[in-house]
Amino acid sequence: MRSLAWLSAVALCLAVAPTAFGRDTVKPAETCGDHGTSIDFFDTPSEAARAALKQEKLVFVLHVSGNFEDPRFT
Amino acid sequence: MNALANPEVGKFINEHFCSSFQKVATFRIVGNQKQGGNVAAYFCAPDGRVLHVVAGPVDAGTMLNEAKWMVDSTKKAIAEAKNDGAKFKAAFRKMHAERLRQQYGLVVEPVTFDPPDVQDSNSALTYNDPSGRPLAPKLPPPPIEGPDVTFRLQAKEAGRGENADAAVRDRKGGAWALGTQGRVHQLMAAHSMLKIELVYGTVFENILGEKVSTKPVEVATPFPWVDAKRPGR
Repeated sequence: MRSLAWLSAVALCLAVAPTAFGRDTVKPAETCGDHGTSIDFFDTPSEAARAALKQEKLVFVLHVSGNFEDPRFT
Repeated sequence: MNALANPEVGKFINEHFCSSFQKVATFRIVGNQKQGGNVAAYFCAPDGRVLHVVAGPVDAGTMLNEAKWMVDSTKKAIAEAKNDGAKFKAAFRKMHAERLRQQYGLVVEPVTFDPPDVQDSNSALTYNDPSGRPLAPKLPPPPIEGPDVTFRLQAKEAGRGENADAAVRDRKGGAWALGTQGRVHQLMAAHSMLKIELVYGTVFENILGEKVSTKPVEVATPFPWVDAKRPGR
């Protein structure tokens, strides 16, 4: 049986309300800002992954290309 | 900004995910103007394996629904898998296949077992990009079995002259119109839980129709036109 270490950690975190552990906010020092969005971004996906493992969360990665001056894109 | 500037979307994503961004693909420069551009949002496990993708720009409601579906599905798959990674992967792929059936009326057989990869990335016969990494592969989506009888009305037959990218063929040769997100579910029914570097090429080139030139790179400011002091502007 192949076991994934993060499975049980994420299961625990998703099973309870995030605010119960005060995890709903990311410390501003850990992220590189929201870039004008409502989302707190880490500098790199690997940093986000490390934080996700620590905070028992999942990872959200945005791939952007080209001309994004049009706000309808995102 | 639409979806990502929405406070409800931001709150939900910040609660359940750690986020980051990369720049991928290429764009054309015609005169002094850049043309093209797209976006793909990947929902991943903490080890970088892709569980779900939102391909292309979507509105706030759609992004929130997809993020919620992602969290709910993860909970279900974890409960079903009982800490077994192989079962978790199989459960997730089945959920993508089920969503394709229910929402788009098309049936695919989820791939619940991945054969070992025989390609050696260090082999002299493997083509690498200038940075030394193999190019992103183009993953084959699982074949469409055909329309589901229960959800037959959701399946739309592709009309003549329809954009070839939007039409998929089933095993019997029938052509079906399948939108971007439908094709994401088709892809994920066979390839979810693969690492993001194996998936992004297929998402950008096969689903969004955008040429990928290099591996994803980090960018300091993903949305340079947005005034950081005035979110949503």
